[in-house]
Order: sequence, then structure tokens, then C-alpha cells
Amino acid sequence: MSVTTPRAVGVSMSALGKTFGEKRVLEDVSIAVEPGTFLVLLGPSGSGKTTLLRCVAGIERPSSGTIIIGGTVVVGGKTFVPPERRRLAMVFQDYALWPHLSVRKNVAYPLTTSSLEKSERAGRCEDLLERVGISHLADRYPNELSGGEQQRVALARALAAEVGLILFDEPLSNLDADRREQLRIEIATLTREAGVTAIYITHDQSEAFALADQIGVLNQGRLVQFDTPENIYRHPHSAFVARFTGVAGEFPVRVTGERGEHGVVVELPFSTGHSIEASCIERLKSRADVSLFVRASGVSLAEPAYDEGVRGLIRDVAFNGRGYDHVVDVGEGFSLTKIFAPTRFERGRNVKVCFNPSACFVMDSMREVVK
Amino acid sequence: MAIAALETAPPVPPSPATNKRRGSLGGVVLWLVLILLIIAPVTSFLILGVSPRVFQQGSQWFTLSYVRQAFSSYFGRGIFNSLWVSTTVAILSVCLATALAWLIHRTNVGGRRFWTVAMWLLLMMPTWMMTLGWTDLLQPFGAAQALGVNTHWFYGEFFGPLGIVVVLTSAALPFAYFIVSAGLQGLGPEYEDAARIHGAGPLRSLRTIVPIIAPALLSALAIAFAETMSDFGVAFTLGYHSNFPMATYVLFSAISNFPANFSVAAVIAAVLIIATIPPIILQSHVMRKRSYAVFSGRTRAPRRRELARGPRAWATVAVAGVFFVALGVPILGAVIGSLVKNLGIDSPNGVHFTLTYYMQIFRPSIQGDSLGAPLLLSNQLGLVVATGTGILAVILARRLVANPGSWSQRVTDVFLLGSVAVPGVVLGVGYIFFYNLSFISHNAVSIYKTLPLLMLALVANAVPGQTRFMAGPVSQIQPSLGEAARVHGAGRMRAWRTTNLPLMSRVLLWGWLLTFTKTIAELAISQILYPPSQEPASVSIQSYLANFAPNTGTAMTVLTLIEMLAVIGLALGIYRLVTPNGWRRVGWSGVQS
Repeated sequence: MSVTTPRAVGVSMSALGKTFGEKRVLEDVSIAVEPGTFLVLLGPSGSGKTTLLRCVAGIERPSSGTIIIGGTVVVGGKTFVPPERRRLAMVFQDYALWPHLSVRKNVAYPLTTSSLEKSERAGRCEDLLERVGISHLADRYPNELSGGEQQRVALARALAAEVGLILFDEPLSNLDADRREQLRIEIATLTREAGVTAIYITHDQSEAFALADQIGVLNQGRLVQFDTPENIYRHPHSAFVARFTGVAGEFPVRVTGERGEHGVVVELPFSTGHSIEASCIERLKSRADVSLFVRASGVSLAEPAYDEGVRGLIRDVAFNGRGYDHVVDVGEGFSLTKIFAPTRFERGRNVKVCFNPSACFVMDSMREVVK
Repeated sequence: MAIAALETAPPVPPSPATNKRRGSLGGVVLWLVLILLIIAPVTSFLILGVSPRVFQQGSQWFTLSYVRQAFSSYFGRGIFNSLWVSTTVAILSVCLATALAWLIHRTNVGGRRFWTVAMWLLLMMPTWMMTLGWTDLLQPFGAAQALGVNTHWFYGEFFGPLGIVVVLTSAALPFAYFIVSAGLQGLGPEYEDAARIHGAGPLRSLRTIVPIIAPALLSALAIAFAETMSDFGVAFTLGYHSNFPMATYVLFSAISNFPANFSVAAVIAAVLIIATIPPIILQSHVMRKRSYAVFSGRTRAPRRRELARGPRAWATVAVAGVFFVALGVPILGAVIGSLVKNLGIDSPNGVHFTLTYYMQIFRPSIQGDSLGAPLLLSNQLGLVVATGTGILAVILARRLVANPGSWSQRVTDVFLLGSVAVPGVVLGVGYIFFYNLSFISHNAVSIYKTLPLLMLALVANAVPGQTRFMAGPVSQIQPSLGEAARVHGAGRMRAWRTTNLPLMSRVLLWGWLLTFTKTIAELAISQILYPPSQEPASVSIQSYLANFAPNTGTAMTVLTLIEMLAVIGLALGIYRLVTPNGWRRVGWSGVQS
């Protein structure tokens, strides 16, 4: 959790719903965000995360529910506070920099209505430009900047407002991998330095895990899990969350026994008679119609002569800088992807695949949990 | 004041229901205005064509006798002539415009900036002014002869279909040019590169690329056809004098002759609208399905073909030649014509140049009028009409691009498409008829034969075109720009003023100038609706030209043109002086397309 300054505000949404014509894009979403928290809303396209963020910003009007920002009801009943009176800032996906204003004027825009002296405003603006590393571009116009530089301007503009809540609408999605990584770190650092509450939306699970204090996973307009990044990764509440946060493989299995409070033994479909241990978070409806979800971190490769594990065949290998990611066929129609090994196993080679029970989960494959 | 009041309003948030009510109330008011401006006058007038009794203009509830009358003899000839001339002009102007657009945007032809400015001038030049310039130049003992050029042989040819096609093609050229240019500018070099890499020669590459801009070409054809069909300036001057009736003129004569035959005029008006609607709808349909604007983040800027010195010189001469014929000849003819003493009269003393006619302009003539009052009136009309049109067009353009696919957007779109097809002369006659109905003048508004009626008709005439002109730039403004302003503390008005207005400022300025100049030189509506003893400049000039003082009329025309150019220069100068640098960096795309 970050350092909380008096500026940071809490955000609470309850029973939030939004429909566009016949289409329901948000349904009964309730989230409480503590002041100073960095919340990431994670979900695929069409899950309603952008709509949710726009409802918090005041750009969209929810069809039902309540939003409270810093103790003030901004949406609820007949109340609808317009965006300019919500005291928040936002970084847009397309940056939304005004093309007729220079970098300096873009950043200074939120300050123009403040009671600050002109010199004080200019000072703050310069300071922010310095902090995001674009002070040398202050007199340029947005069309003269690269994508990364434009996003830095958008970040500086959001910080300039000195508000208690900053919203981020997939701010890194238009950038290349290098810049994305660099800016992600800057967003994390600067936002926490500013001590504000942040709500950040993305469809990229690695971005979410890297940034978040809390993650809300959305699917088809519903909040399906709200927890810390660690818990979401280690204890996904549904098949959707498990899949969306990255699995190396998913197989239909049969439960053959139990191990302690949250452990089960399952029979693998591709290796007759071979069973492994896995975690089972919730009570299963049946022992037969379940799936095994395997995280990439829960699989390791070994030489074929190794005693443990099941047999596999290397289908593909890719160098990733620190080692090698492998795709391994483990049976007819069954494979595991992104299996890391520090050494290279060549294509077509036989290996042994070993499973770590703590990174294998058994769930009803169709099960969906709504928070 | 209003903006400040809105910004400091107490923080009482409007409820969703209040906002919805406000939105629908605004919509009702807007449509009420549009009904009174365009829909009611035009439809009530059109009904007369088949049902004169509805408005006590005859005894029949339903008759086709006026339809037969409209397609026979003189009226029929007018309709037939307009149809074939418009088709010819549309094809010619699109061919010429495509060649010009390609040379100016895709090659290093000389004077590219100058040709773009010249195209704008051509767009603003009324067709009756072009006709006048040509006539002054070609007529026996005219301007050309004063310069020692014998044009006798061409004079007879010009007074007929040839001259009409030349002038109307010149007038349609800018409409086609701007549409084709927009299509060409969005066409990155990657399409041609891809064709060449996959084995296509230059010709096959061209055949591959042309279909990509086909919607733009089709669109240009439709607009050129519609503009030519609805033109009144040439029909009233060159068409009438060369005994080559055209639909807009025969419509005018149907109501200006005694007794006025509104029913036949209504049928001709319907023919004009019906002939124009299909190409415009087709164009709109094609554009919707397959946008020629292929701009994307990945489209690279178009590449210019570097012509060698010889071909470049030839290309520059060819472009200059087109502009000389379209713009140079009419201006030259009018300017020289206004300076030659006794233009068109065989004088034993030879040709003499004089400034007498310019001095006569501001002296009371035999009629007791000078150009001073009409020109002042035209400027006042231009000011009011351009401002009113601009406001209405921005509101409509925002409606047109907001909520794509919604019921409100579709209705606005259909209405605007239909209205673009209504010629000024139809609107003028519709106004005479509708606002003279005793039901209207006794129970609603009594503005028949007044200046406000003329103003309303001019606004109604300019709004559809101006809205479509604005719609492109308005749709290019990403909603997130305004949303970002709101989120960062700007109220609704401030957000619009600080983000949307700067981006649209250049388009608004050019739109305003276009309407202003078109209003000053407008002839069809002015001729039909001017109140007694309050002639606008265009009407006053026509009466001078036609009656007793053609030389003074020509001088008046030149002076009006100079005044129009001066206003454009002044407005652009003020814009440059008062707007921040950032405003001038953006917004060109909308103006150029």
C-alpha cells in the first residue's frame, strides 16, 4: 500500500449498472477503494471496464447505482455531479492532448481555474514537466511528439490538477513494449509519490499485477473477483479469472482423492494412471466434470530419464532473454505453453514435465463467481 | 457574459430527466425553426403542382394537367436542356478536377499554394459574374477587341450551349476539386507500392488505385450535377440572352409572367429536386458504405511525384490554362470592360479607357439609385445571414455527427440531403407562396415583402450546404478532447470554447466567408424576394446591365468583387492577428476538404 496524503480520496461504487439501449454493459458492480490505493480494473474487451471508469469520471451517466468520491455522493438517485466538479484527473487512452495548445499549456490547463498566482502556476507546470522528463519539449505541440512523449504530457496534466483521484484509461495500450515498460514504472512511481488514489484499467494482466495494490476483474459487465494481485494469481475464484490471468494449460480431469483441507488428487487425461496433486479453492459440484488449470510457474521440464513427471514432446522453443519458453505436447490434443527453462530443449525432443501442486487448481470449468 | 454565468452557476447538478427534457426541448425548437425555414415553404409550394385547391390556387384537388404543361413546349425545353447540360458539366468538371487535384497534390507542379487559393476564389465567384466577364470580353467592340484580339468568330458560339457549359463547368470545378482532393490526400503511397511490388505496371497500378477513390469521384459527380441543375445565374443571364431556356429560368418566368402560374412552377421545382436527390442519395450511400477518407494512423503522407523540368513546365502551363479560362477570363473581361469607354459600341474615335463608370456608381442614376445603398444592404444581409447560418450549421453538424445511427441523426441526415437538392429559386418561390398565404400572414407571421423574409430565405438556402461543410471537421474532433477538458475542471461552455472552438475556428471562418460572399452575390432568391425599393447589389447590378447602363453595371460588378475580396482579406488578417498561434496550426484539413 502506498503513502496516503490528505489529498487521496476514497471511492465507493455500489450496485452500479449501465445500459446502452438494450445492451447491459455494467451490472450490479460494487467496489470500495481506500484512499491512496492503486486499483486496477482488469478485463477483456467489452467487459465494461472503460464504461465503469467513464462513470466514475462523470463522462457517462450510470443507469443505476451510487458513486461516492471523497465522501460526496456524485451519482445516486437524482444526483449527478458533472465531471468538472468531481475533483479528479484522467489519462486517456488516446492521450486527448489539445492539438492547438503547446505542451506547457496542455499541462497548465487544469491550473487555469485554480486560485494560484500566475508565477506559482508556471512554477508548478515547470516542475511537473521536469518530473516526467519533458521540460525540453515544453514549447512543442502534441503533433511534434512521439507516442511516449505525448503520454508523458498526459500524465503531467493529470498530476498538475493536484486532485485526490486519478483515472487511467488503458494509457499504455498505444505504445511499443519498451516504452510501455518504462512508462509503467513512471506511472507507478509518480502516482504513489503524489499520494493519490488511482483507478487504472487494462486488459493486460502483467501490467495489472505490476501496478496494482488491488485488482478488480470484470467480465461481461460484472465484477468477478476483487482482491490483491497475489490472491488473484494464487487463488482465482473462477475459471474465467484463472484463464484471464494466464494459464499454461487447461485440461478436463477426474478427482480421485483428497489431500488436506484444500488439496485434491486428479487423474490426468493424457497419461493413463498418472495422478497429480492440485489446489481446490471451492467445493466442487461433482468429481467428474472439472478442469485442471496450470500456471506456467507451476511446471518445470526435466530430462526424459527423470523419475517423476509425465512424458512430453517439445513442439516449440523461444528465447526470451533470461532463458527459454517452451511449448510442450503432453498427449493427443493436450499441450502446455510458456514453460520456462533456463536451458534450451530443442524442438522434437522428449522431456519429462513436472507439476507443482501449489500452481495447479481444480475448478468447475464453467463456474463463474460474481462478487 | 453567458459563459461566465454558466461557469459560476451554483453546484446544483441537473438530474438525468432534466437533461433529457432539455435535450428534447432543444430538438423540438430546432425542428420548428427548420420547418418554418425550409420544410413548410418548399412542401406547400410543391403540393400545388398536383393539388392546387389545397391552397385555393385552382379548382382541382388532384390533377396532372400541370405536369403535362411543364413537360411541353418552352417549359419542357428548359427541363431537357438543364438535364443534358448538367450531365455534361458534371462529367467535364470531375475529369478536370481529378487532373488538377492530382497535379496539385501529387506532383511538384509550380504554384501549388496559389492554385489552391485560386480555387477558393472560383468557389466564391457567382456564375452571373463569370458570364458578365465572358460577355464583356467577347462581344463586338468589347474588352478583347480593345486589347487588339479578334473574338468575333467565337462570340456567336459562346451565346449558346457552348458558353453555358464553359461557365457552368468553371463554376462546378471547385466543388469537384475539393472532394477529389480529399480522396487523393487520404490515399497513401502504400497502395501503389503494393501494386507495383506485386507486378503491376504503371497503368495497372492506376487501374488498381482508381477504384479506391471511386466514391470520391462519384461524390464529386453528384455534387457537380446538383450544383449545375440548381444554378440560376447563368440561366438568368446567358441562357435567357441566347434563347437557351434552362429549368431554373423557366420556373422563374412561370411566376414572374402575368398571370403567375404557381402550379407549373411547382412541377418544375419538383423535377429539379427529383433530378438532384437520387445522385445525392447515391453519393451519400456510397460514402457511408465505403469511405474514401482512408486516413488511419498507419497511412503515410502522400508522396509527390517529382516531375522533370520539361514536364513540370508543361504541367504548370496546363494548370494555369485551366485557371485562366475559369477565373482569369471572366475577371479580366469584367475589369477591362469596366474601363473601356462605350463598351460594345463601334466608335469612330477608337478605343478609349476611362474611370467614368466607377465614378458614376455612387452618383444617383436615372432611376435615382446608386450602388452605395444596395451594396451596403448586401453587406448587412451577408453579415446577418452568414452569422445566422454559421450558428445553425454548427448545431446541425453536431447533431449530424453525434450518436451515429440514431433516429435523430438519420432524420437530420435525410433532411439535409433533401435540402441540399432544393435550388435557391425553388426556395424563393416557395417563400413567396407560403408567407403570402393569408393563413400564415394573419395568424402566424406577416413578413411578406420584407427584408426579414429575404434574410430567412437566404439562411435557409445556405444552411444545408454549410452544415455538410462543417460536418467533416466537427466529426474529426475526438470526443475525448472535450471530455478531457471537463474532467480537468472546465464547465460545458468552457470546454467547448477552449477545445472545440480553436480546432474549428478556421473552418468556421471560411464557412462564414463563403456564406458572406455568396450572399452578397446571390441572385435567385434576391431577385424573387427583395422588398420594394430595397434592392440588394446583385439585383441592382442586373437592372443596370439589362436596362440602360451596362458599363456602369460592369463597374459595379468589379467593385462588388473587389469589396468581397477585401472582406476576405480583412477577415483573414484579423484572424491572424487575434488568434493564438496554436489555433492557426490546426484545422486546415477541414478547410481543404
